[in-house]
Amino acid sequence: MNRDFSASFLRFAAPLLLVLAPTLTWAQATPTPNRVDGYGAPNTTVPNPPNPTNQGETEVNILTSYYQQDGDHGAVEGGRGTQHLTDLTPTIILNIPLDSVTRVSANVGMDYYASASTDRIDQVLSSPSSSDTRYHVDLGYSRQLADKQTIVGLGGGFSKEYDYLSFNLTASWAHASADGNRELSVAGQAFFDRATLILPAELRPAGRGQEHGSGFDTRQSYNLNLVYSQVLTQRLQLAVSTELVAQRGLLSTPFHRVYFRETGGALGTAKTELLPRQRYKYPVGLRATYYATDLVQVRGFYRFYNDNFGIQAHTFELETPVKVTPFFVVYLFYRYHTQTSAKYFAPYIAHSLTDTYYTSDYDLASFSANKVGLGLRYSPVYGLGRFKTPFGGRVAKFKALDLRYAYYRQSTGLTANLISADLSFTMP
Amino acid sequence: MTKILKTNPWPRLILGLVLALAGSSGLASCVSVAAYQKVYLNDEDMKLANKRIEVYETNFESYREGAGGANGGKVGGGCGCN
Repeated sequence: MNRDFSASFLRFAAPLLLVLAPTLTWAQATPTPNRVDGYGAPNTTVPNPPNPTNQGETEVNILTSYYQQDGDHGAVEGGRGTQHLTDLTPTIILNIPLDSVTRVSANVGMDYYASASTDRIDQVLSSPSSSDTRYHVDLGYSRQLADKQTIVGLGGGFSKEYDYLSFNLTASWAHASADGNRELSVAGQAFFDRATLILPAELRPAGRGQEHGSGFDTRQSYNLNLVYSQVLTQRLQLAVSTELVAQRGLLSTPFHRVYFRETGGALGTAKTELLPRQRYKYPVGLRATYYATDLVQVRGFYRFYNDNFGIQAHTFELETPVKVTPFFVVYLFYRYHTQTSAKYFAPYIAHSLTDTYYTSDYDLASFSANKVGLGLRYSPVYGLGRFKTPFGGRVAKFKALDLRYAYYRQSTGLTANLISADLSFTMP
Repeated sequence: MTKILKTNPWPRLILGLVLALAGSSGLASCVSVAAYQKVYLNDEDMKLANKRIEVYETNFESYREGAGGANGGKVGGGCGCN
């Protein structure tokens, strides 16, 4: 997975989308369920009025994306050097009804990533650290209670990569009003992670014979997600949300170097990044959707973020789906993000040896970012096609296709391209 | 946690904002929209959540931006340190 390949991929993908677009408008479509499932727990949005349309149907989504980024502020080399990274992420999401009120879900996938900056842990190109695969499995269970307005869910899962193991548990509760105009949902998640401490080559303790340094450390993350949604008019609704996060344990990345001004930045005088072992995040978001006309809808999102690392941020998103036909939607989207620097951040050789905490990771720097993109969704009434599955000869329906391209640019110089696809299938 | 609430005003501010919005929305719900009037609200693009296909973007943004959260993105479970 090299730079040439990613450039070629993008060069051919864009014309392919343009060629496909008019072809896709020929047929007819129906909307498809399209919400983001949380880690572990299945979707707990209460259907109101109860909608039996999909009961008895197993839903299968195949998601995949190709991500590529580039920049020259790699944290591994103390705030300089390449940030080149590619990531390929196939994922399968299963949503299986056990009966009219109970569902189980599974989210299984992998990330194959190749990172030029991580390759510099050993100051040698083509070391084993240059690429890795992360595997993840999440399972969930949800049940609609007898009042038909409440859904509860439980879930759990794990992910594994070369130097990082993570387990998670989640529980959720959602309750809608009798008329379906209001809904409150509460979800809690806990992550229990263990990281192998891989130090830069020159910072490893001498004479211990360890390949990468130095044992293990742990991190715990607790996340409370509250969402209140409200219908305001026949064309307008909004939701306010917060996602409170508390993290404890290893929050530094041990192979991120920091160079100090007193040492002149020469190799061998770096220290490994050091951040506090507790972090609290307090974001709040406001989302609104407006049905402007039969042709155009407007989706907006604003988020304010604050944490105890000293970062404050504002994020604004706008999306305008345009219905080319009732079943073929083209949507443009734009996102603006700005954040202040963490109080522990300084660029290459700007930290002092007297600093208590220090990082040169530009993810924690002050910057603004813009993202623009285009999406296509095609969902014919009778699906794009049908085929026999190996599971008892059952016939599956290829229900909908969603394609999306995004270009992202930070004021730090980091750029990224992302192409995603979502293929929806149902099996009766 | 008590110490944090004493020293940092943001949690109380955010909680207050959420409760105020929830309260005002509750009053606004006097204008009830009946199920048969929800033809526009039931449109696929009117859902009050990220699309499933957006999950990769919210994940990479939560890695590349120190400020993550309240958008359905990832908050744990993986290093993201490259």
